[in-house]
Amino acid sequence: MNTATTLLAITLYGALIVHIGLVSVALWRLWRGKNIIDRLTGFDLISILTVAILIVMALIERDSIYLDVALGLAALGFVGTIALAKYVADDQLF
Amino acid sequence: MAYWMILGLWLLYLALTSNLEPGNLVIGLMLATALTLLLRPQPARLDWRRAPMALLALGRYAAVVIRDAWRSGIGVARILINPELPIAPGIIAVPSGCTSELATALSAHAITLAPGEMVIAIDRDGVMYTHALDTAHSAEFIAQTQALRRHLLSKIFR
Amino acid sequence: MAEVLPIATMLLVLAGTFFSVLGVTGYVRLPDVYTRLHATGKVTVFGAVFLLFAAMAWTPRGLGKGLVVIALLLLAGPVTAHALASAAYHIGIPLTHAVRDDLAAKALAQVGRGPIQEADLAAGLVEDNS
Repeated sequence: MNTATTLLAITLYGALIVHIGLVSVALWRLWRGKNIIDRLTGFDLISILTVAILIVMALIERDSIYLDVALGLAALGFVGTIALAKYVADDQLF
Repeated sequence: MAYWMILGLWLLYLALTSNLEPGNLVIGLMLATALTLLLRPQPARLDWRRAPMALLALGRYAAVVIRDAWRSGIGVARILINPELPIAPGIIAVPSGCTSELATALSAHAITLAPGEMVIAIDRDGVMYTHALDTAHSAEFIAQTQALRRHLLSKIFR
Repeated sequence: MAEVLPIATMLLVLAGTFFSVLGVTGYVRLPDVYTRLHATGKVTVFGAVFLLFAAMAWTPRGLGKGLVVIALLLLAGPVTAHALASAAYHIGIPLTHAVRDDLAAKALAQVGRGPIQEADLAAGLVEDNS
């Protein structure tokens, strides 16, 4: 455990805390959203931020299994947002 | 046979497992082949003499797209940090100039990837209606980059 | 020389966190749906991509997975932004503070009333069909 590694560990925990704070800010803004697209945007934002949190977890644990979880979550968030946007625009899913 | 699909699936498998032992290589190849035989994709007509040039153009295209995205990312970062929020949003019409729909869609993707510009609609003539944060600056920037993109895309797809 | 990797990872993590903060700042500060999509759909993806670069450098066996996730994010981000913007325009959410709107001008020109903006004619962006 040398100085650079300690610095990195501090930075990583800082990044984790910052990202969790960002999710709560985004949730608060989502709650006060003005229209449906606004809220969908917030939903998309939170899904990307969650992916970012998982990547930071992968960095903290030095374990790449979290990247697989991030991949699945990113794909799910993408499909979900597209489906909801289509539903809003056309009033039907398919 | 769709060799390109086998190759792509194999590389994807290897990237996801991150394991280059001989056994894993063989299993990946078998899985990719089985999946390709199962899906039976449309056979693509590849012109092998043009393939190296097309691959080179593809690499340059990716580099150009990433560079443009980076440059406008810096611009948007400046706007968002500025306390006065100096935005002038608007929708501008950008003719793509590409003949094929795939090339137009790829141009739209590249434009949308850059923060600060976002394609809202594409009409039948390939005109991309682009929402921009800083309208005057973006109109100039897109016109500049679209010419280069069109050139590279024409090399890739012929 | 063993110090280079942790320091590079740290810088990448800082850059990624910066872009994430910027994306949420944009989501809170910007005035309407379309401008907000610029911040959320793309600036935040940039942040995640920087964090992934760090993960590719620092995590063992993270190189391939990181590349796949980066490719997915860079493909999916613009598509999501476009889908949301298109849906917003479709259900008629207005633009605020817009300095020009070529799409509305075109829609007006097609029904045969309303002027095409002169600036567009001069720039050759819209054909004069009249």
